[in-house]
Amino acid sequence: MATQDTGEPGGHPAVELTGITKRFPGVIANSDVNIAVRPGTVHALVGENGAGKSTLMKILYGMQRPDEGTIFVAGKPIVFTSPADAIKAGIGMVHQHFMLADNLTVLENVVLGGEPRSGLGLDFDTARRRIREISDNYGLNIDPDDLVDDLGVGARQRVEILKVLYRGARTLILDEPTAVLVPQEVDELFGNLRELKAEGLTILFISHKLDEVLAVADEITVMRRGTTVASVLPKDVTARQLAELMVGSALPVPELRESTVTDRPVLEARGLTVTSADGRKLLDNVSFTIHAGEVLGIAGVEGNGQAELVETLMGIRQPASGTVHLAGKDITRTSTKHRRESGMGYIPEDRHRQGVLLEATLWENRILGHQTRKPNARGLLLDRRGARADTQRIVEEYDVRTPSIDVNASALSGGNQQKLIVGREMSSKPDVLIASHPTRGVDVGAQAAIWDHVRRARAEQLAVLLISADLDELIGMSDTLAVILRGAIVGHYDPATVTPQELGSAMTGAGREG
Amino acid sequence: MRRMRGIRLAAGLLALGLGLAACGSETTPGTGGDTTSGTAPKASNVKVGLAYDIGGRGDQSFNDSAARGLDKAKAELGIEVKELEAAAGETDAQKEDRLIQLAEGGYNTILAIGFAYEGAVAKVAPTFPEVKFAIIDSEAPEAANVANLVFAEHEGSFLVGAAAALKSTTGKVGFIGGVNVPLIQKFEAGFTAGVKAVKPDATVDAKYLTQPPDFTGFNDPAKGETAANGMFDAGVDVVYAAAGGSGNGAFKAAKAKGKLGIGVDSDQYNLPSLADVKDVIITSMVKQVDVAVFDFVKSVNDNTFKSGKKVYDLKAGGIDYSTSGGKVDDIKAKLDEYKQKIISGEIKVPATK
Amino acid sequence: MGRFSTRAIVLGLAAPLGALVFSALICAFILMVTDHSPIETVDAMSAAAQRPRTLVNSLNTATTYYLAAVAVAVGFKMKLFNIGVDGQYRLAAMLSATLAGAAFMDSLPSFLRITMTILAAMLVGAAWSGLAALLKVTRGVSEVISTIMLNAIATYLVSYLLNPARLAQNVPGSNNISTRPITEGGRVDGLVVTGSTSKIFALVFLAVAVGFLYWFVLTRTRFGFELKTTGLSESAAVASGVSVKKMVVYSMLISGAVAGLVGMPQLLGASYSYALDFPAGIGFTGIAVALLGRNHPVGMAVAALLWGFLDNTANSLDVAGVPREIVLIMQGVIVLSVVVAYELIRRYRVRAEQHEVGRALGRTKTLEEVSS
Repeated sequence: MATQDTGEPGGHPAVELTGITKRFPGVIANSDVNIAVRPGTVHALVGENGAGKSTLMKILYGMQRPDEGTIFVAGKPIVFTSPADAIKAGIGMVHQHFMLADNLTVLENVVLGGEPRSGLGLDFDTARRRIREISDNYGLNIDPDDLVDDLGVGARQRVEILKVLYRGARTLILDEPTAVLVPQEVDELFGNLRELKAEGLTILFISHKLDEVLAVADEITVMRRGTTVASVLPKDVTARQLAELMVGSALPVPELRESTVTDRPVLEARGLTVTSADGRKLLDNVSFTIHAGEVLGIAGVEGNGQAELVETLMGIRQPASGTVHLAGKDITRTSTKHRRESGMGYIPEDRHRQGVLLEATLWENRILGHQTRKPNARGLLLDRRGARADTQRIVEEYDVRTPSIDVNASALSGGNQQKLIVGREMSSKPDVLIASHPTRGVDVGAQAAIWDHVRRARAEQLAVLLISADLDELIGMSDTLAVILRGAIVGHYDPATVTPQELGSAMTGAGREG
Repeated sequence: MRRMRGIRLAAGLLALGLGLAACGSETTPGTGGDTTSGTAPKASNVKVGLAYDIGGRGDQSFNDSAARGLDKAKAELGIEVKELEAAAGETDAQKEDRLIQLAEGGYNTILAIGFAYEGAVAKVAPTFPEVKFAIIDSEAPEAANVANLVFAEHEGSFLVGAAAALKSTTGKVGFIGGVNVPLIQKFEAGFTAGVKAVKPDATVDAKYLTQPPDFTGFNDPAKGETAANGMFDAGVDVVYAAAGGSGNGAFKAAKAKGKLGIGVDSDQYNLPSLADVKDVIITSMVKQVDVAVFDFVKSVNDNTFKSGKKVYDLKAGGIDYSTSGGKVDDIKAKLDEYKQKIISGEIKVPATK
Repeated sequence: MGRFSTRAIVLGLAAPLGALVFSALICAFILMVTDHSPIETVDAMSAAAQRPRTLVNSLNTATTYYLAAVAVAVGFKMKLFNIGVDGQYRLAAMLSATLAGAAFMDSLPSFLRITMTILAAMLVGAAWSGLAALLKVTRGVSEVISTIMLNAIATYLVSYLLNPARLAQNVPGSNNISTRPITEGGRVDGLVVTGSTSKIFALVFLAVAVGFLYWFVLTRTRFGFELKTTGLSESAAVASGVSVKKMVVYSMLISGAVAGLVGMPQLLGASYSYALDFPAGIGFTGIAVALLGRNHPVGMAVAALLWGFLDNTANSLDVAGVPREIVLIMQGVIVLSVVVAYELIRRYRVRAEQHEVGRALGRTKTLEEVSS
């Protein structure tokens, strides 16, 4: 697929990047990136996690300066030294993580940092009028006097967009805007984007979800390993072709072939309830059983008790009531170390906080969480040779890309760190694997490899609790599916028949009413 | 000399470069010392080395008193002097090293100020029999070349205690000790005895600013002020500050509250640094370290050096109370009467509580 | 380690050496501004470096500094700040001196006496730091605050006990008070060096052993691994089954036990009793030495020797007419610049390593590679 000329004949692109190169240690840098975004279009930038999209956006938003290359806005070369410069040039950014103060109103959030002044006081009336105006013009459906705390995720995102528009942006960068949305909200967002486009605004949409990109974008630029490899029109490509462009090879599919579920319960949770310090129920009477050879998938919008569930199962958090049984033994009051030694593997959600020691070598990270067991320890002493040999094996088997097992984990990309973690946890031959987002941030090849490892272990009677934000992964990899909402299990689904839309509804609670 | 320096420099850097591991290596003993003693002797062949206690010259108190004696000796006897200071938290070995460096440097008359040097003097003196040593405030090191210069601080404290009792209208007087060590407890014992001798029912409110090994109590006016304020608020109207430089704060508090203070070691009424609070200082317990220092240097100079204990008490004039400012003129007769009784032995002042 | 090792060594030395040179320049500047000759100063220091006594004293001082640094480093390794080493060693030295000097000890065999004294000091040190650990794990009290407080309490406790009415006695004819002196059999005789009246503390070997154990435990044992893990990331440690509370208690106890040893070389090798003039403040020097030596067993040894040497050249400087305070200035500047230098080097190292990984894996492709 040839790179086509995306420059508008006659008119200037709204934003154009030429020859952008950023040498940035460790993670993917940008190398000769070329993108032209025509005004009044939705331009999607796709690529795997770690392909260099974020770096590029940071450059475009003035958070980082390129080592080489030029940014043109409306045909004029511009150097950004800070986001303020970008805003001045009419470029606004909607971050993946919202930056809103919960206890303030929409109005207050929007004017925060850019207070409207009339004389000495703040001119809230004018601001309120303008917010209403913007909201009506672009169909954002936002009331300036609503408290942000009361708004749902979709509405919060629209507030973020409004905030950017309020500051006068004509080009909007949306960084993975759908990552936090359920399918219905995604559709709403796309409606909003079309409105914005109709009003002449330009949108740069970053995503790695191809169906969405194909649905909303007018043009698509694909990035791979730090550089732009193609610019295509949605009508010319299928999702599969696009994905292969992103990966540069054929694609894996998350699916389980035949059922290996046995009737031997391995991990049982009974009536688990966890309360926060202020008495709120974080987990509400959660019960389930995972059998040997079974993968139980937990679907849910992030922050609905998944983290608490995992921590309770691993003994990091104590439940207010309820029990956890491992192979018929009550382990509710036992330590994390005991649980790990009894055959529980753990792939934590936040690998930098819980999964690796960034400032320790790979082989030391191999020991982490397995410091009492072979091949890492002999009695009270560490078995350094054993640990190193096994690390070398993991590096090879799990394709951890590193020059040596003596480099610090911080030198590896997130995906390679994750591969090391998965390899480590699988290497202890666990009976149960608690996996939170096991393939988050890894490239497609590694994703396939991780799925393969899980499948193989499942065939050998591994019981898995799988938590993921990727509904395709959940549906494809699970034998049974449960939906968690506000700390409670609100439904069970058969992955063979359920659609992502149905799951999405259940995750937001819409399923119960409808 | 130039050449010597170059070689030494190179050798020193080499020693550093080897990580100092070569401590036990062969270095001819005494080279370091010999090279520094290259200066020709002066008219008087007495060269005085003085090792201060922590605080050194400028502490407004004990060390300064010694410094005054040294200055006087230098001026009147025309001798060469060298002053070295101590560091906080040092070991005996470092104190020994200080004395040895002086001795090796050709200083044949060495003064160690303060009992902290007693171990060091005991160890160093025998190895330098031709050098005359003096130590202040300690009788412990006994050697043919060591003079032990000690003071009867309790006797002087008794007199200022009597003065405090006579001047007090409330019957409550205060004692502020710099650091809670036996030496200062000796001051308290004498002071209390003096107060009780005048007014048996008077009370003495005693407070020490710090506990050893924290010796900042001798040089922390803020602590002195706080302690004095506490006492004044409790009805005390005369405070004896046996706390070195911290006394300054106590006098400041006295001036602010219209109370009275008593100085220590020097005649503090006449100290320039205390000029703005001097009108509250009714008297000072004068411990004439300067006299002891000067006497000792002079004795060596005159070839009349005598080893062993020399007590500076009321009788010898090494201890006294001061009358500068005229605040005790009205009770001077009474105080002198006590003084005579102590000298004659009629009153035995306790040195311990 | 392969290709990383040479550079690792160079980088490891760059920070302390750079800091040393920098602080030497600062000191030279200060000396010149205050009308003293930097050349004279270096000259005096070099002269001191050739006096066997200075070197022996430096080594002896370094021995106690090293022990204090190890005590501090045990906590530092897991981001636990035991500021209380000072109080721990003073209390430990005082109480073990009392035990060692007690009359009933005189009849016991020498080896037993010395062992008992050292063990008692370790126990006292551990007990005192254990209080801080207990407060931390049960009440969440920051160990920084509690150990500082315990330092003050130790000071009062020692001066309460160091009283003729209690555990001490007046030194005859002196204004000093001390515990009952340890008699011959309870002492640890030093090593004689020609040209020096000071002997080398025999307990320098104890410090070496402690340093070796520190290294061994940290790098070769499960416990050491869990300790380091907790220091690098508490959340990762928890997820890995490390009980952080237990680690706090253990490391505080170990730190305190090592702190208890700090006073031993001086007590058993030179002072033979705990008196008012027993050296104080070594615990704080230990913090500086641990910082300078980056908690590394060899690094701290070098730092302790440097510190000890600087301390012991002060007298020579004084004799040469250079104010001894220059030593304090130099030490202060060294610590500050070392901290800054290490951070700079650390950042450089991380970047270099990431570059290395990037290069090795060829992550950033050229245009030709991509389009081919």
